[in-house]
Amino acid sequence: MLVSPYLVHFFLFVAFPVAFSIVLTFHKWNIISPMEYTGLNNYIRLFNDKTFFKSIGNTLIFLVIHIPLQIIVALFLAEILNQKIKLRGAFRGAFFLPVIVSGVVVTILWQQLYGYDTGLLNRLLTGIGIAKVGWLTDPNIAMSSIALMATWKNVGLYIILFLVGLQTVPTQYYEAADLEGATHMQKFFKITLPMINPTIFMVVILSTIGGFSLFIEPYIMTGGGPLNSTVSAVLYIYKQGFFYYHMGYAATLGLFFAFIILAVVVIQKKFIEKDH
Amino acid sequence: MTNSLNMIIVVLLTYLLNCCSSSNKDSRDEILYWCSNNNDEIKFAKLSTDEWNKNNPNDQVKYQAVPEGRSSEEIILAAVVGNTTPDIYSNMWQGDVEAYAQAGVLVALDSLNGFLDFLYERCDSSVVEEIKSLDGHIYQIPWKINPIMLIYNVNLINDLELNGPPKTYSEVFNASQKFQKDFDNDGYVDRWFGYSEVEVTWWQRFFDFYPLYLAASGGAPLVKNNRAAFNNKYAIEVFSFLQEMYNKNYFSKEKLSARQDVFLAGVTATRFVGPWEIAHAEKFKPKGFEYEYNFMPVPDDHIGPVYTYGDPKNIVIFKTCKDPQAAWNYVKTMISDEGDLKLLSLTNQLPRRKKLNTNPFFSDYFLKNPKMKIFADQSEYVKGTDASPVLKEIFDLISQQYEACVVYGMKTPEQAINDAADAVNLLFLE
Amino acid sequence: MKKFKSTLFYVSLTVSALIFVYPFYWMIIGSIAPENEIGNLTLMPKSLTLSSYSQMLDKIPIGGAFINSLIVASSITIGVLIFGSMIGYALSKLVFKGRDLIFYIIIFTMTLPFQITLIPQYIIMVKFGWIDTYLALIVPYLINALSIIMFRQYFKSIPDSLIDAARIDGCNELQIIFRILWPNSMPAIITIGIITFMASWNEVLWPLIVIRDESLMTMPQLVTLFAVGGRAESQLGVKLASAVMLALPIVVAYLFFQKYFIQSMASTGIKE
Repeated sequence: MLVSPYLVHFFLFVAFPVAFSIVLTFHKWNIISPMEYTGLNNYIRLFNDKTFFKSIGNTLIFLVIHIPLQIIVALFLAEILNQKIKLRGAFRGAFFLPVIVSGVVVTILWQQLYGYDTGLLNRLLTGIGIAKVGWLTDPNIAMSSIALMATWKNVGLYIILFLVGLQTVPTQYYEAADLEGATHMQKFFKITLPMINPTIFMVVILSTIGGFSLFIEPYIMTGGGPLNSTVSAVLYIYKQGFFYYHMGYAATLGLFFAFIILAVVVIQKKFIEKDH
Repeated sequence: MTNSLNMIIVVLLTYLLNCCSSSNKDSRDEILYWCSNNNDEIKFAKLSTDEWNKNNPNDQVKYQAVPEGRSSEEIILAAVVGNTTPDIYSNMWQGDVEAYAQAGVLVALDSLNGFLDFLYERCDSSVVEEIKSLDGHIYQIPWKINPIMLIYNVNLINDLELNGPPKTYSEVFNASQKFQKDFDNDGYVDRWFGYSEVEVTWWQRFFDFYPLYLAASGGAPLVKNNRAAFNNKYAIEVFSFLQEMYNKNYFSKEKLSARQDVFLAGVTATRFVGPWEIAHAEKFKPKGFEYEYNFMPVPDDHIGPVYTYGDPKNIVIFKTCKDPQAAWNYVKTMISDEGDLKLLSLTNQLPRRKKLNTNPFFSDYFLKNPKMKIFADQSEYVKGTDASPVLKEIFDLISQQYEACVVYGMKTPEQAINDAADAVNLLFLE
Repeated sequence: MKKFKSTLFYVSLTVSALIFVYPFYWMIIGSIAPENEIGNLTLMPKSLTLSSYSQMLDKIPIGGAFINSLIVASSITIGVLIFGSMIGYALSKLVFKGRDLIFYIIIFTMTLPFQITLIPQYIIMVKFGWIDTYLALIVPYLINALSIIMFRQYFKSIPDSLIDAARIDGCNELQIIFRILWPNSMPAIITIGIITFMASWNEVLWPLIVIRDESLMTMPQLVTLFAVGGRAESQLGVKLASAVMLALPIVVAYLFFQKYFIQSMASTGIKE
């Protein structure tokens, strides 16, 4: 019947993989040799794996920097665009440009901008008398640099989403506030923000899920360095599975990480819904 | 109900259709030999197979070039998974053999007639031990090596008024200090004694840490019997040495490889590199530029010969081969005296065989190619890699500690080596 | 005061717009500048050259990769539209046993992080022998939960009477979908089509895993390997050239269909 293609697909690409994944976590397999039962070894290895936990930490650092930054910038620009601005379409188009382009393009581009000696950013800095910054070579800020780039890439999308949200706020509220002589800032914080809470919430969830799949940017930009400060969880899993062919171990990491993602999303939902 | 039935049939059909995709490999009569796609090696393969095919009409050998480097690994892996492996492969990196041996896709060569006799003729017992797999069998035969040595700029070294090129760590520090200069006084050093990539990529260590470790330790193993064996004073000494070189800016942390060749430009005086550099240097060296090779530097208290890493490539026969004995007979001609001489003259890569430097059969070649002579001397003291299915990862873990200690100075060498050994031992838990 | 606020707004917007657009401009001029000038480039290079592009074309089969991406992204988009509408229709207009169960399963799969299914999906591709084939790139993406939900949502707003009339005329279910629903759902189709096409065009992790044969690589995958591997030989211009080539197709499409792009992305948000 109509739905049968879905059922086949679901079985093949969802149900079976999840089940097989769980089975794999108890085995050792490198594709060319037969699967070998290893019991809980993968789990023991996981809990001793400092680099894996560092990669999860790195991913969280990325989210903690990227999401607030993105919301602030997107809200700021969306609020301005929401005023009577001429050429709104042109501005909107400009902001949206990085969104549609592949992450690969953005990463290659920013790798050059972040270059220590010849990168544009450092040249600008030395031009105005500030010392060079080790954007990608300083282990303490490398991940922040990636977060900055990710914000630049995605903020256009969230500007659009916020614009939609801003436009749902009934103008009567603003008019009433105007009568009471409220400033722009007051209107923004007392009326706009509470009204667009659902939009903010949605932006947070979307960015979180997207941020957990951070892979191609560190892969291209730093390969995970310096000092493993930019290894994201997905990059680490990818390396374990497709570079070393530790299929069983990679499956274990994947399962564990998936639970973490679900946990974070559930906590976020509860936390934000509580505010209502 | 009918829907679930339909679904099951569709899934089964898809699976059957795909797992039974036939490999028409079975229709192959000739012996298939995969060589690298390096032009010189293709020449070698052509000559070698032509000569064999003339005299062996019943066991024709056909050669096919496959890309070298990272992609060759993947091509072999894909071939193994898809059951489309060749009969003979000659560029198997020694470090890859164990994993394939354990997967059961390689022929145990020691089961073939005449193999062991030939092997002991060609190689001495330490090499034979080195290429034995963990299960005691031998799945590879050594073909060629490219030893890593110290290349140095003769004129620049002479300018420093030393006793020739530095041989111990103290001599290196001394030379480096004299060599370091900031020509334009802008606060940034303009020339460094040497350069090695600071990248954490696992195979970079074949050009710094690993050959130095082998030199210092007389060819000691990194892992043995699935446990880390490098937790010793030699590894610590090597880390200390390199840490100091970077600390004092005798080696540059900047990515000098982004510039034009810094060795030929005199921006660095030395490099750890193999014989392939000779062809490059001859082609691009500026007028008056002179270079020589010497052994890797060793700790001050070192006694005995100086070992190094040889980047060995070995020949294997896959189990899909229908007639391994015939394949082995062909391989024998590749690595006979005449075969090895062809290898030397066509590709300038050294065959891995004993007494290369004193064997009169090859003396003519070394007379004509004096720069290669030191490599022949070195070839007596060359080590490949230990037998382990997770070699890549071992080097990766060592590289990570290397970055933290040597490049960023965040750990002491003792700590770093210790942490690396712990991480490696965790690997064997899987 | 108003004038000041207004100027402030325009200045902020212009500066921001520059921040978002200038790097692309830099990328383009970097790709046509001689190698040694790239380090000092700001507004215009002193001379122009196409050597970066010719070098790149020499080194990697970027044209082939473009075609691969085109084939893969188009097939996936068409597949998603067809299957998505079929299943969305079934879920919204038909009544059958297990309909609600399937709907909840679909929602559930949307919350499942791909990190769990990545490895086994790869193994399935190996077992089926689909590695290094278009099948591995296309089939897993043919059915997309989000598209099903969006179609279902949209179809709900189409009056049942339209469908009943068609049935009376003797149309079967498939005909209903393609003759009646599709023409009336153009906004949804365009939206889902654009999102799907863009997402599959830019997808790079999965191709990196299942495609090793260069002649089958997708464009982002090829450019990634080119930038990360040593093939570019640290030549900046060549890397920038490959990035420009990768960006070009989508940007061109964007310039023509900007309105639709932006609308599509906005509506995904609303659906949440």
